[in-house]
Amino acid sequence: MKCTDLVGAFFYPVDTIDFIYPSCTGQMTQSSTKPFLGFGLGLRAEHYQDILEHRPENVDWFEIISENYMVDGGKPLYYLDAIRQDYPMVMHGVSMSLGSTDELDFDYLEQLEALMERVQPRWFSDHLCWTGVDHKNMHDLLPLPYTEEAIVHIADRISRVQDFIGQQMLIENLSSYITYREDAMPEWEFLAAIAARADCYLLLDINNIYVSSFNHRYDPIDYLDGVPAARVWQHHLAGHTNDGNLIIDTHDQDIIDPVWALYLEAAKRFGPVSTMIERDGNIPELGQVLAELEQARRIAEPWYQSRS
Amino acid sequence: MTHLRELQLRFQDYLTGGSEAIEADIVSTEKALAEHRLGAYYNAYRIRLIDALAVDYAALEKLLGREAFEDMALDYLQRYPSRQPSLRWFGQHLPAYLAEYYRDKDAEFVCELANYEWVQTTVFDASDSVELFQLEDMARVEAETWPLLTFDFKAALLWLDMHWNVPQIEAALDNGQEPPQRQRGDIAQRWLLWRHAYKIHWRSLDVHEAWALEQAASGANFAEICEGLLEWVDAQQIALVAAGFLKQWIGDQLLVRIGNY
Repeated sequence: MKCTDLVGAFFYPVDTIDFIYPSCTGQMTQSSTKPFLGFGLGLRAEHYQDILEHRPENVDWFEIISENYMVDGGKPLYYLDAIRQDYPMVMHGVSMSLGSTDELDFDYLEQLEALMERVQPRWFSDHLCWTGVDHKNMHDLLPLPYTEEAIVHIADRISRVQDFIGQQMLIENLSSYITYREDAMPEWEFLAAIAARADCYLLLDINNIYVSSFNHRYDPIDYLDGVPAARVWQHHLAGHTNDGNLIIDTHDQDIIDPVWALYLEAAKRFGPVSTMIERDGNIPELGQVLAELEQARRIAEPWYQSRS
Repeated sequence: MTHLRELQLRFQDYLTGGSEAIEADIVSTEKALAEHRLGAYYNAYRIRLIDALAVDYAALEKLLGREAFEDMALDYLQRYPSRQPSLRWFGQHLPAYLAEYYRDKDAEFVCELANYEWVQTTVFDASDSVELFQLEDMARVEAETWPLLTFDFKAALLWLDMHWNVPQIEAALDNGQEPPQRQRGDIAQRWLLWRHAYKIHWRSLDVHEAWALEQAASGANFAEICEGLLEWVDAQQIALVAAGFLKQWIGDQLLVRIGNY
């Protein structure tokens, strides 16, 4: 049917790990204990019924794509509400266009705020990108040049969004296919500078680091070492497509071993970070995605336990 | 204009098929030239938007075939680039646009099919109606109040008029079956679409039920509807026919509320 789809989340029985959930209205500072939701999935319409029928216990939380639920009613919101009853959720947006030089879209932010009221997410996030100018939306996550001008521009807009919503947000790194000639610093410095200036948190996509490191020929370990560990609150893991010269972030394949290896390095560095699988194309049965999630758990948990 | 804005305008101009000036801003490497790298964005933009359109207009895509659908969708994308945060709204102008794109004898049929699909999308995620008026609620309606009864319908309900046998063709295409022969009626048929239990339902309406429903939805009371039905129905049968419509609407879960009793 013509549904745009969704995403979701669930509770991790992490009684032994000290974590604090951010309230929807409160402010958290970097000194707060990092919240840890456990291991989650991006909620997709293909899995709605399976989730409701079987309530999988090995999913701790779901992430939803915010824009898919900015509708008046019907099946998307029905499943959202039903699944939310059993699982914690976080909200992930694709159209805030934080890096755009258009004005911030406050109509969009009002819709986001209304959805947050409904979902009561643990947090909300969007991307370190722009999606269009001149009031057009390319529906793609377009990279910014890594310049001081861009840092000031996007950090100011993140601050304004955080002021409007009333809580801090998470910013996700992209997979990118281009390097601007004017880039003045590596991506991790750009990301770290923005996070510090806007006082926001990071959604570090491990696959995106791998993809961009391949496309731009840098060491992904440098990236992990270059971001502020305390600000890393969430990880995405996903698959991609490699044409030999360029990797495209398609989210339609299983996660490859080098990405798992990079995730292990992240677990060593960042401690317990809420981790989830993103699958957006060629979506398999829920069981197959859960198997990948178990792999993430097997890789990271030993390091989390040793740190706690 | 800031430097960053100029860069973004150049990039977007490239994506939408304008100038290639942005290539000068991008680093080429031995393995991937700037042109190849930018091409990933150029292609992704088109594929993503065409695919979104194909989700909302699945039957139209099957009818036209992928290649013809893509040609049409690319032209539509040029005319109506997305201006909304969600892809949900990208296809909203397509039914009207198709009348310009297909100026031949197929235009009317294609437009009706597209409109029918868009109405389904609209009904699919229209507002929920928490409580519906049920047949047992009629027990509370006293006989003398009937003439003044008014009717509030759920939001997830729309109707449209079509000359062609679009619903039968769409249903066949949706089920992967060979669609029936196209047939055009001289008089447009009104079709009612509504959502119940998160599923889309549809049925055709006779001309007098179509009139009665439209009047009821516009605020006419029961007596006014009965009076208007005299055009099609004998006076002795009016109340029975109108009450029959009401019973059908309640049974179809279309009514949120009945007023004035």
